[in-house]
Amino acid sequence: MNELYESRILNLVIWSPMLFALLVAFLPKGEKGQIRTATFVGMLVNLWACAWAWSRFELHNADEFQLEYRMRWIDAAGISYHVGVDGLAIALVLLTGVLAPLVVLASWTYVDERVKEFHIALLVLQTAMLGALCSVDTLLFYVFFEAMLIPMYLLIGVWGAEERQMAAMKFFLYTLVGSLLMLVALLGVYFIAAPAGQRSFDYATLYNGLMAANRELSACLANNPTGPCEGLSGPAQALFTWGPWMFLAFSLAFAIKVPMWPVHTWLPDAHVQAPVAGSMVLAGVMLKMGTFGFWRFAIPLFPTAARQYQHLLALLAVIGIVYGAFMCLAQRDIKKLIAYSSVSHLGYCMLGMLAFTAEGATGSAYQMLNHGVSTGALFMLFGFLYERRHARLMSDYGGIAKVMPVFTAFFVIVTFSSIAVPGTNGFVGEFLVLLGSFKSNLPLAYSVAATTCVVFGAAYMLWMVQKVFFGKLVHQDNLGLSDLNRRETLAALPFIALIVLMGLKPQPILDVLETSTTRYLARAGYGTPDSNDDAVRVKVQPLPRPALVELAPGAPVGLEPVGQVANAQPQPRILRPRTPVPSAVQPIHPVMP
Amino acid sequence: MNSLVQFFQTSPVPPSNAAHALWLIIALPLLGAFVSGVFGKVLGRANTHLVAVGAVAGSFLLSLLVFWVINDPLTGYAIGWDYGTWFKAGSFQVNFGLSADHLSGSMLLVITGVGLLIHVYSTEYMSHDAGYWRFFAYLNLFVAAMLTLVLADSMPLLFVGWEGVGMCSYLLIGFWYDDPAKAYAGRKAFITNRIGDFGFLVASFLLVLVLTSLTPSKGNQVKDVDAGAALSFKMQQKGTLAFAALEDGAKALPKVLADEIPSGPLKGMKYESALFVILLLLLLGAAGKSAQIPLYVWLPDAMAGPTPVSALIHAATMVTSGIYLFCRLSYFVVLSPMAMNVIALIGATTALLAALIAFSQTGLKKVLAYSTVSQLGLMFLGIGAGAFWAAFLHVVTHAFFKACLFLGAGSVMHGNAEEEDITKLGGLRREMKATWATFLVATLAITGIVPLSGFFSKDAILHAAHTTKLFRAGADGALVAADGGLHLAYWLGVLTALCTAFYMMRMYFVAFEGERSADAKVAHAHESGPAIVWPLIILAALSVLAMVHGLPGLMHVERNGVQVHQTLMENFLDPVFRTTYALRDQVKFVQPEIETSVPVAPFVQAWVIALVGGAVAFFLYFKKQGGSLLDSLEPLRKLSWNKFYVDELYTAVIIKPLTFVARAAHRVIDAVIIDGLAVRGTAWLTTRTGAALRYLQSGDAQSYAAIMSVAVAAALVWILLRIA
Repeated sequence: MNELYESRILNLVIWSPMLFALLVAFLPKGEKGQIRTATFVGMLVNLWACAWAWSRFELHNADEFQLEYRMRWIDAAGISYHVGVDGLAIALVLLTGVLAPLVVLASWTYVDERVKEFHIALLVLQTAMLGALCSVDTLLFYVFFEAMLIPMYLLIGVWGAEERQMAAMKFFLYTLVGSLLMLVALLGVYFIAAPAGQRSFDYATLYNGLMAANRELSACLANNPTGPCEGLSGPAQALFTWGPWMFLAFSLAFAIKVPMWPVHTWLPDAHVQAPVAGSMVLAGVMLKMGTFGFWRFAIPLFPTAARQYQHLLALLAVIGIVYGAFMCLAQRDIKKLIAYSSVSHLGYCMLGMLAFTAEGATGSAYQMLNHGVSTGALFMLFGFLYERRHARLMSDYGGIAKVMPVFTAFFVIVTFSSIAVPGTNGFVGEFLVLLGSFKSNLPLAYSVAATTCVVFGAAYMLWMVQKVFFGKLVHQDNLGLSDLNRRETLAALPFIALIVLMGLKPQPILDVLETSTTRYLARAGYGTPDSNDDAVRVKVQPLPRPALVELAPGAPVGLEPVGQVANAQPQPRILRPRTPVPSAVQPIHPVMP
Repeated sequence: MNSLVQFFQTSPVPPSNAAHALWLIIALPLLGAFVSGVFGKVLGRANTHLVAVGAVAGSFLLSLLVFWVINDPLTGYAIGWDYGTWFKAGSFQVNFGLSADHLSGSMLLVITGVGLLIHVYSTEYMSHDAGYWRFFAYLNLFVAAMLTLVLADSMPLLFVGWEGVGMCSYLLIGFWYDDPAKAYAGRKAFITNRIGDFGFLVASFLLVLVLTSLTPSKGNQVKDVDAGAALSFKMQQKGTLAFAALEDGAKALPKVLADEIPSGPLKGMKYESALFVILLLLLLGAAGKSAQIPLYVWLPDAMAGPTPVSALIHAATMVTSGIYLFCRLSYFVVLSPMAMNVIALIGATTALLAALIAFSQTGLKKVLAYSTVSQLGLMFLGIGAGAFWAAFLHVVTHAFFKACLFLGAGSVMHGNAEEEDITKLGGLRREMKATWATFLVATLAITGIVPLSGFFSKDAILHAAHTTKLFRAGADGALVAADGGLHLAYWLGVLTALCTAFYMMRMYFVAFEGERSADAKVAHAHESGPAIVWPLIILAALSVLAMVHGLPGLMHVERNGVQVHQTLMENFLDPVFRTTYALRDQVKFVQPEIETSVPVAPFVQAWVIALVGGAVAFFLYFKKQGGSLLDSLEPLRKLSWNKFYVDELYTAVIIKPLTFVARAAHRVIDAVIIDGLAVRGTAWLTTRTGAALRYLQSGDAQSYAAIMSVAVAAALVWILLRIA
């Protein structure tokens, strides 16, 4: 019975916010308190589901995707409702779950118009984000990926600041350009990966279908790096011609989302105009869809092209790191400064990922979580200040520490986390990313340039802290500011706890991430002489047999379901027994030559 | 006597118990910080004092215990405990490992001992400040971070303390944050330190690369397989950057110094060059923390913080962590004579520059700040000369007399309505007797008057710089002399000693002797209370007593068959530098003079130098003679008063251009090129294309027909031409 539930945890994770959205839809418009409470409870239920999923994730399970659930959807096109999580996805799911109740708490009084619509948008957004993280079917991923845009567009466009319409439009169009290109590339992959009749959008079909072609192509390119490759098989030839383009299309879509330099200019506008909830979700989770996309799709599907463009993308990441920091030094608007600091921090994520080393990749994944926590907290805390004062410029503040000491303490702690002081979460990620980058085949200059932002990061953050919190109280309006109330303190405390906890005890999370890292690295290096097919092949559940077949096994079936993994026989679902955990401590032996 | 020695060389508790409890030393002040910071306001002043002082006192007692334990020869003069993994990814791993040996043990006593005195002092000094709870929380947090720094047994964990003390320093310098200048000073300190941390981080990463290339693995053939395997074992057992692993790495290095690195990102670089670069980066890191050229500029500004902070952080403990780091990694230092030359030169130059600036400063704390920079420079000279024990001895003695001086300065300010301009004080000798006496003792100690501790520690450094010979490996493997930098540094150091005597005595004469200044804020200074005076007396006593550690000829040991003289400190630190000395004697790049007798001549020379410097100050500022001489030196005084315009130079050359680039990039690249041309350009192009195409869809059937017929005709013509 337990297993029946457990196999459906992810459905609960994804759809529970949607259920509460339905509930909220039936609440009367004027009952703001009820709406807020219902949403908050919904997010708590969702958090509980995410935590349950996290606790059921098994470190020593050989399966890549755990908690899988697969259901027939559109057989004719090879699309199924297929969800499952790997190490990175489950970590991001947990982050999404943790942030959501805090987002609701943070906007409790911030939003007072169209409260019902606002909270429905938040809940729908939650479903879309979790859906995108859990999808194993690429088309399902794409649907969720696009679905995220709409509530976020509304959050910015309806509940934003003065220039909200422009910012929302810019955000929407920017992101859409990338994702449409991605759709084209996705279709390309769909057609190359499998012969007609066996085509499917399932990740396993796409990835496994490209494996042979990728290996063939790598072998050819290893001999003559610039081409031309003669005598390739059909798919490999197609990959040779179109692979780089498809890789670039995927990359552009995700690079915009990350955002990488130079397609980052939507971010400052969106953040500045977005309400506190929008900024928190955007920084906390949505930007990670970009890095997640690189990790799951762009790089594994096109390893040869990824290795070809590794240096270029890493260079863009480094430029993003340094450039973002420089932009921060030129800002007067606090929200813009935090937004540009995101560009810089996400640059670290990309650099670590593109280093193709274990330290870099794990650090990158951890940095995604860190950024969600630290920057989410920064946006929330600033939101509290903005709610009181409705001013975003540093010059409007000064000496706030005198009137809001608790707020200042929180903000300064989060600042230290953002500039990666050891002992806070930021340090672990940044250290691993930089170490991974130093260990990689990237030029040393890239890594050194990225390390300089240790200095610049401190420079802009502390500059802002000084301008806002220290000095004399010069503005009359700031004299009467009240310190954080109980609700706000309650919303801030989890962030502080996470910052310290993730800084001092990162290993449980790193262990989970590492399960993904090994596969990611094997896939990024796929096709090189010592790569191993078994380490990278995606193994998923087969499609369940149609309901009719289940009812009448002997009856003739007109249409064989498509989209099966070639060697997988349709069979009834067999629930995996939970694997025993090997003893955690293993003796250490020196590595002998 | 023997039984007493026996008693103190027997661990009072099982060593493993003490080792397991090492974390308590850090945890106590951390807990104190938490309680004072969160509940301090509710608890009230007296209770907060109790918590904060009690936490440090507890740490002090535990440190004494640990010190006792590591005196037991059965422990091998070191204990350590591994509390499990902090984080690991790929082949990289960091453990929560703490260890105490004679080096960190001495630091423990200095930090908690001097820290305790300063906490007690602060209870009175900060008795009128409303933010007392914040102050004690930060101060306790600092002690915890500093203890982490010295107890850490790996570079990443040391970095926790390293950045932690920087963070506390930032918070404490800007303690009175409503003064923008003080908040700025805190920020300046943190960011300057971060430049150093950049060096530290890059050095750590490069060390990982170098160590990895020394370990045998598939695709990596190493020369010394045994040493490589041992290193590999340590890296896995203790953590990749654990000091134990680094030590094994250093042991594997001598055989390959002139070889190229066989694999990894540093492939093709020579090991000796890599080591040189790493040491220079570490020097940058140490220069940030320990205020050396080019990063010393933050320390004088850091005096904006409350005076106990200046005494604890910016004189006794935090600023010496750079020297501590180099003592820890001394096994790398002795392998790179070129780096030693650079370290010695940087140290000596800083020492002299800071001393020259101190000539003209009038702020009591400013003079002391520059004198700290200067003394730290001398310690680096000691590192560069390979006299690690002497550098460390100076760390200890300096902690005593400089803390005494700073606390004395605080007492002076406390009794004179926060006046710190020495020209507006004067005559304090009669008004603040206890402060006067202790200040005088500490001044004499730093000046280098026999038989105070400063004399012995400073002279040990200068003597080593004078007699040690540095060599590098020549083309054919023969040793070539390479101590030009060190020799120059020695003379700079001697000059610094002269200057130190002058400016310290100048400050003393102007502030304490003579008549009370007419500009004084209060007519009569009042002596401070017992919580301030007692710490002063204890520190002054320690400034005298610590000389025992530096008294030459106290210990006689046999080294390589020769009977040599050692000081107590040198002997005491021998177990710490075991590997260092072994490597030194193996590669012979550093050849110190072997002391078979007590050298008298250098002592006389040092004493004469101190006397001359003091005498000049005596005639100029006590006898008030030579006024015309002072007038003629006015331009030089002005140069020194303005700190040789280094701050202005940095602003003009680094900060301004960077800010300009940032602004320009924001206005041009972001706003115009990306957003203007690329993004809006695309939108514009789309709109224009749409607008142009609109004319084609006019809905006019006749024009459609016309276009169609023209097109058909053109097609026909084309087909006909093709056929023809």
